[in-house]
Amino acid sequence: MSILSIENLHANVGETEILRGINLKIEPGEVHAVMGPNGSGKSTLSYVLAGRDGYCVTDGSVEFKDIDLLELEADERANEGVFLAFQYPVEVPGVTGMTFLREAYNSRLRYEGREEADAMEFLKLVRSKAKDLNMSDDMLKRPVNVGFSGGEKKRNEILQMAVLEPKLAILDETDSGLDIDALKLVADGVNALRTNERSMLIITHYQRLLDYIKPDHVHVLARGQIQRSGGKELALELEANGYAEFDGKG
Amino acid sequence: MNTSIGPAAPFNDFIDSASGESAHENLGEWLSEIKEKGRDEFYKLGWPSPKLESWRYTNLNKLAKTQFHLPQTSELDKLPCQNIIPIDAPRIVLVNGKLKRELSDLSEIGDGIFINSFQDMRDEQRALFCLANHAILPKEGLPIKALNDAILSGALFIEIMPGWQSDVPLHIVSIGYGDHVGFSSKIFVSAGENSQVNLLETHAGDAGSTYFSSCVSNIDIKAGARLGHYKFQNDTNTSTHLALAQTSIEADAVYDNFVMSVGGILSRNEVRSLITAPGGECCVNGAYLGTSNQHIDNTTFIEHAAEGSKSREVFKGVLADHAKGVFQGKIFVHPEAQKTDGYQMNRALLLSDKAEIDSKPELEIYADDVRCSHGATVGELEEEHLFYLKARGIDAESARRLLVEGYLGEVIDEIQSQVIRETLSKVASDLLKKKLFERSDGR
Repeated sequence: MSILSIENLHANVGETEILRGINLKIEPGEVHAVMGPNGSGKSTLSYVLAGRDGYCVTDGSVEFKDIDLLELEADERANEGVFLAFQYPVEVPGVTGMTFLREAYNSRLRYEGREEADAMEFLKLVRSKAKDLNMSDDMLKRPVNVGFSGGEKKRNEILQMAVLEPKLAILDETDSGLDIDALKLVADGVNALRTNERSMLIITHYQRLLDYIKPDHVHVLARGQIQRSGGKELALELEANGYAEFDGKG
Repeated sequence: MNTSIGPAAPFNDFIDSASGESAHENLGEWLSEIKEKGRDEFYKLGWPSPKLESWRYTNLNKLAKTQFHLPQTSELDKLPCQNIIPIDAPRIVLVNGKLKRELSDLSEIGDGIFINSFQDMRDEQRALFCLANHAILPKEGLPIKALNDAILSGALFIEIMPGWQSDVPLHIVSIGYGDHVGFSSKIFVSAGENSQVNLLETHAGDAGSTYFSSCVSNIDIKAGARLGHYKFQNDTNTSTHLALAQTSIEADAVYDNFVMSVGGILSRNEVRSLITAPGGECCVNGAYLGTSNQHIDNTTFIEHAAEGSKSREVFKGVLADHAKGVFQGKIFVHPEAQKTDGYQMNRALLLSDKAEIDSKPELEIYADDVRCSHGATVGELEEEHLFYLKARGIDAESARRLLVEGYLGEVIDEIQSQVIRETLSKVASDLLKKKLFERSDGR
């Protein structure tokens, strides 16, 4: 059974059709990269999968494991194991990192009909994962992402992913706004979470990130469709030649 | 609309009966005089008219037309604990404005604080009382004070000895009890030089009670002292609460005020602070939560009358259903108050289309070397925030609760006393669950 199976997916934002028939299959443990020029529909794809309001699916289907993903609310999708690492992680005033993580973690446990986590045990778990990502206790006590640098915000996303242990992680432009050191730290965090069961969908404009997180498959998304699929060599080809041949402009 | 309120309003019957009430035997003429004077003055002034700038958004018309009567009893077997701040601290309990010793517990108060009620005041305290009671008020505040005098049923005199410092807060619990009863209370606080004390007030009612509660406080903070003054206004949802606190802050003294307003059909909390000497600091902050058709008014006036003084004011409110909030904040800087540092911020979160906030920040500055800023925002919960939480598995209801809690948490963080901060933060969180998010409780 595939982890994710997207068939002929069409989606609108407002009146505009952005996704125009996407087909994509991801098997357990696979890392797929979706690359494409600006405006090709990359972020729309990630929001449609995560279930954001305002993104309207007009045709096609998305199966996650054997569930119709499009039938679920955003929080239900997350609790089933879909995780979206945001391109622009949101600042949440007044809600501390620790409270946020605990609520998220317990939401999943409740969803699965299990007991909530012991507060002390959970604190220990988060601290050890935060340490791996070089995040201080202080960052967990502060409101989520408020006043964080670009790199800190992205690390915070990876921390949430490490704590929530999703089945499918969608990383939306995770490299944007990162310098090379921050990028390495984030990539190490992501690589540490690769397992035979966990699948990843990496959405990126640049090939750079893929030097650090090596994909099994690369797809080119342009004009709302997957134009071409291949192995990691495709990413290098795009780096050399750009997206002109797919963009309909070149 | 005719906004004038005639002298024949039903409320006046109550004032008449209150001022004619026989005074406590130890007080005799003295108290009767205060009450009669208050009554005469109130009749002369009338209810504060909406034509007065500071009463533009809060109309007392309905109150004036409501018939209240004197409390038949102030006997209450036990405190309505679920409505009171849960804190293990020495407490003074007033029921319908009258001190109830059997419900109070001052055994842990320490020997640097003296508390007297009307009945056991010494002569010199009465003299001080009268002096403080005649403190000059602007015309907008006069009717409220006159009304408080006219129906006066009890007063507390709290004297903090110079240099006395204590971490243990003193909890003043005012309980309203009965059907359409009216009462007033007065609190005088004198914080001696270099003292440090926290006062906590709970205003609440016994379940099912409807009352009118008038509270006037006069606070005097001497040089180098620090007074924390925190208030939880949780009156029953049919009651009216009108409060006026006047504070004078001397050299290098600090006043840290916070009010959390969640109760009453109508409440007004007016704080007037005067910084009289260099280095004085005044923090007037607050949080409010309005649901159903509550009306919550926070009006503040901070006067800088000396050089190098500082004020900080942050109010945040959450309004749902048909609730209405009023914020009026004025910072007044006298010509001699150079190097004043003033900050004011008012934010409101509207959770329904029918909720309303009237916000009026004002700066009036007559010195040229000052730093004063103010701002106000009104908003709704942001979709972006909600989606971020939902994308982490948190259901919509819990996400809203977390965001609202965080929103109010930011202003509760302004409270300087850690114990009070943590206590009120818990109180706010429980209240939000109860008043806004009941449905998520059964999970």
